[in-house]
Amino acid sequence: MDNTNYAIKEYDIVVVGGGHAGCEAALVASRMGFSTLVATLTINDIAGMPCNPAIGGLAKGQLVREIDALGGEMGKAIDETGIQFKMLNGSKGPAVWSPRAQADKKAYHERMLKALKEQEGLDIIEAEVTGIIVEDGWIKGVETNGEEKIKGKRVILALGTFPNGLMHIGEKKIPGGRRGEPTARGLSDQLNRMGFERRRLKTGTPPRLKRDTIDFSKCEPQFGDTNPSPFSFQTTKIDREQILCYVTYTNKEIHELITNNIDRAPLYSGQISGIGPRYCPSIEDKVVRFSGKDRHQIFLEPEGLESDEIYVNGLATSLPVDIQEEMVALIPGLEDATILKYGYAIEYDFFPPYQINSSLESKRVKGLYFAGQVNGTSGYEEAAAQGIMAGINASLGLRGDPSFVLKRNQAYIGVLIDDLVTKEIDEPYRMFTSRAEYRLLLRQDNADERLLKYSVRYGLSKKEQWEKAIKRRKRVIKACLRLSEEKLSKDLCNKVLKEIAGRQVEEGKKAWELLARPEIELGILEKYLPNGHLKLNEREKRSLEIRAKYNGYIKRQRKTAERFVKMDMIKIPQDFSYMNIGSLSIEAREKMEKFKPETLGQASRMAGVRAADLSILMVLLEKGKKTAVNR
Amino acid sequence: MGENTIVALGTPPGESAIAVVRISGDDAVGIADGMMAGAKSWESHQFYKRIIRDHNGEVVDDVLAVVMREPNSYTGEDIVEISCHGSMNIVSAIIEESMWLGAELAPPGEFTKRAFLNGKIDLAQAEAVADLISSETKLQRSVALEHLRGGLSKKVRKIEEKLLQQLSLVEVSIDFSTEDIEMFSISELVETSVWIRKKLEGLIASKKAGAKLRNGIRITLTGPRNAGKSSIYNTLLGEERAIVSHIPGTTRDILRERIHIGGFTYYLEDTAGIAEAESEIEAIGISAGIEAAEAADMVVFVIDGSVEPEEKVYKLAGKLKGKRHLIAINKMDLGLKIDKKEVEERLGADSVIEISALTSDGFDELKKWIYTNTVTAEMGKISRERIAVNSRQAMALHRALEALNKMEKDISVGQPAEILSIELREAAAACGEITGRSVEEDLLGHIFSRFCIGK
Repeated sequence: MDNTNYAIKEYDIVVVGGGHAGCEAALVASRMGFSTLVATLTINDIAGMPCNPAIGGLAKGQLVREIDALGGEMGKAIDETGIQFKMLNGSKGPAVWSPRAQADKKAYHERMLKALKEQEGLDIIEAEVTGIIVEDGWIKGVETNGEEKIKGKRVILALGTFPNGLMHIGEKKIPGGRRGEPTARGLSDQLNRMGFERRRLKTGTPPRLKRDTIDFSKCEPQFGDTNPSPFSFQTTKIDREQILCYVTYTNKEIHELITNNIDRAPLYSGQISGIGPRYCPSIEDKVVRFSGKDRHQIFLEPEGLESDEIYVNGLATSLPVDIQEEMVALIPGLEDATILKYGYAIEYDFFPPYQINSSLESKRVKGLYFAGQVNGTSGYEEAAAQGIMAGINASLGLRGDPSFVLKRNQAYIGVLIDDLVTKEIDEPYRMFTSRAEYRLLLRQDNADERLLKYSVRYGLSKKEQWEKAIKRRKRVIKACLRLSEEKLSKDLCNKVLKEIAGRQVEEGKKAWELLARPEIELGILEKYLPNGHLKLNEREKRSLEIRAKYNGYIKRQRKTAERFVKMDMIKIPQDFSYMNIGSLSIEAREKMEKFKPETLGQASRMAGVRAADLSILMVLLEKGKKTAVNR
Repeated sequence: MGENTIVALGTPPGESAIAVVRISGDDAVGIADGMMAGAKSWESHQFYKRIIRDHNGEVVDDVLAVVMREPNSYTGEDIVEISCHGSMNIVSAIIEESMWLGAELAPPGEFTKRAFLNGKIDLAQAEAVADLISSETKLQRSVALEHLRGGLSKKVRKIEEKLLQQLSLVEVSIDFSTEDIEMFSISELVETSVWIRKKLEGLIASKKAGAKLRNGIRITLTGPRNAGKSSIYNTLLGEERAIVSHIPGTTRDILRERIHIGGFTYYLEDTAGIAEAESEIEAIGISAGIEAAEAADMVVFVIDGSVEPEEKVYKLAGKLKGKRHLIAINKMDLGLKIDKKEVEERLGADSVIEISALTSDGFDELKKWIYTNTVTAEMGKISRERIAVNSRQAMALHRALEALNKMEKDISVGQPAEILSIELREAAAACGEITGRSVEEDLLGHIFSRFCIGK
């Protein structure tokens, strides 16, 4: 523990937790010039992946790209430690492409730990934080189990599943935040005593198998992309060798086994009270709820290049160990597999996020921030996204600057946090592209164009990066103009159309018009352009193609967004009292009193708040303003 | 505030002599131009007599309109106020036309809210504004509840359910493409879209018949002067509403009242007799009467049967060809000097009856005739099923219809799922305006209950 530092007991920012939220928060805080401490239970678990060994995925990949554009670490770390890269939805339109990569867990952890250690102004301490210190409504620091006090002007809680973590394997209950790790109890209880509401959530993991006991010849191999796309805008190329994953399936015998032993599953015996995610059901849940389905997919994912552990994605379970043994042996390819770690379900405390505002700062204690699973989210990417925002906002708070809040039309991160502070969280919250009403605007390819300007402003990205992005955009726009003027003769048009077996045309067409058609790719069109090839690189070409194909729709979403953004500009004072306003509907009063919306826009997105309630609010806000002026 | 332009009825709903429709916002004057073009441009705070036509060029009403330019108006925005005849038929036609031209139906209390926000109402009144919005909303909600009990909401919910189903299939293909689940089928999507469009078209078509049901079928009494139109009017009403005298040309204004025949509401109009006007006021009355007859669902042409008919009476009656009408030979009690057969032959019509406003003879036949010639099969159906959409609902359904049309077009040129999703959401959102449901909120729940998702 040479790297820990007990000499300094006073920091600008203390980050509690070294998971994905904690790492991003600590890195940006120190990069913004503040002395920062990360307190973690075990250094070995910095940026660990207790669930599946992968970063990115649908909608999550977009989050990683945004984190990267904001100057975060996740994208770079996975680019350096990923072992299989895939662009999901590649067969669909570019608006919904999402990068995903299998991670080498150990390498990822080491890579992130290195970043933390090398970061100037950042210390790591291995300790359990048992309480926070609050004076006059302001955070002053934290207490550790060593009965020590660490002063901090800002504190970020990124506790993961540790608060009152309780693992279930069949009838067995083990307190702990993860397999083999202690739980953090004191802090959650203290927060609760201070008036923070806490509730229980549940999530689960599958068993891990010993690699050389699996017969992969009975499984279907899954390949990565031949041309892997990096996550980070600064990674130019990924040329590491890529590994294979495998797919196998459950069968009727397994389903029968589960059905016969369902009373031994904690989820069904009533042993678990927390709510699990509907999008990530355990195998027993799948079998019970979708009894008509004959088989379920099982992905076999290596946990690393050197690791002999295989993650059995799709087989999350909290059934007792004997059933897990039987179950695995019934799966093709896994007949002789050795289970290294059994699957388990874990229940943990979270603090419903109506208690924070959109800068992730607690409403109750000034200077205290919540990020990640403590807010009821699920996923490394969701956590990291909140971590970076909490880190930036804690730093801005110290500078005395206004907080940084992304709008729903600017980033998935904006959608994520806006959802957290306006909606009831009934299950672990995961990002989906369908949550983003302006999906076509929030693409993985343009995350830097959307967000670099902010990270440059906060000193988290280099100015040259932004200038490069601007230049790139200019070149693309120039090409747009060229194509909208360049006309292809009837003959040329028909040559293009012949290549894609499209219907022939009677007269010539503008290049832009052809490119706008969903079936005509730029690669084909370009060969027939009368003025020759475009002087653009691959990325610029893709950007050009997106502009052409989505043109009208992007404009439409921009226009709708503008209308709604106006509502987000109208601020509501936090001391506004709703309960006495008789003209508001009762439902709206209760909802707004609980959530305390910061803007009219936030209020408009709360279930139960109607258009009439917004009208009334608008009037009363104006009244408040005028009264203030009259004074 | 650069808000959207809104329209609403400014006077209390229900039948009245005059109703005022109010349009406020940046596009108010443009919308006024769109439906009642005139030679002169609008001077602020000046009254103009104009004819409103709908987008098919049909006359809706002749009105008095005034433009009040910002900031010198109630809301502080450009306002157009239209004083029209107080029939709900006409009012809803004008509101609807404004909506076609881009106005939005004003939410409760919106005019007053804007007045307040633009500093036209003082601070002390703010609370009152909030209360007004709240009470108007409650009223509207109870009206909405009324509809819920009827069949409309149920029907739209069914459509919504189908849209949600298709949308969740499309979204699953985007958000869960790595899962081992069925992907959406284009042909099924098109099939559903076509089915929904048919339903939507049916509902939209019910608007016209529905409006007739709610607002009354318009019956206009017309004919030469002193034929006893006002007496028939009073007899049908069962009360002395119109002034009757032997002096020809007594009726100058158009009188309107509701009556009920066979459970349906009728909207009866008494007009000035048609003749050479002896005064300017009478002339206005006569031309208004002619226009009313043109706009009516049915015309009852009244002839004085106690005198020999003049040639011009036949000429007048002949003008009604192509219009649903009935010829009533009045004053049967005085002894008829007109032969029913001759009238039938001369006018080539079999719709001639003999009545007496004084004794009520022939009135049963008159009512029966009115009923059977105005109540269509569709109206009968609507009155049984209790589904009929109003302008606002029709507008929403129309939006849904357009979105589906666009989606089908998108499909035909091979647009990908994320584009199809935009139109499906639009269609679902439009339906949600009627049912009050938010598809966004239902979507994920729908997906998770239907598909086994998650590794």
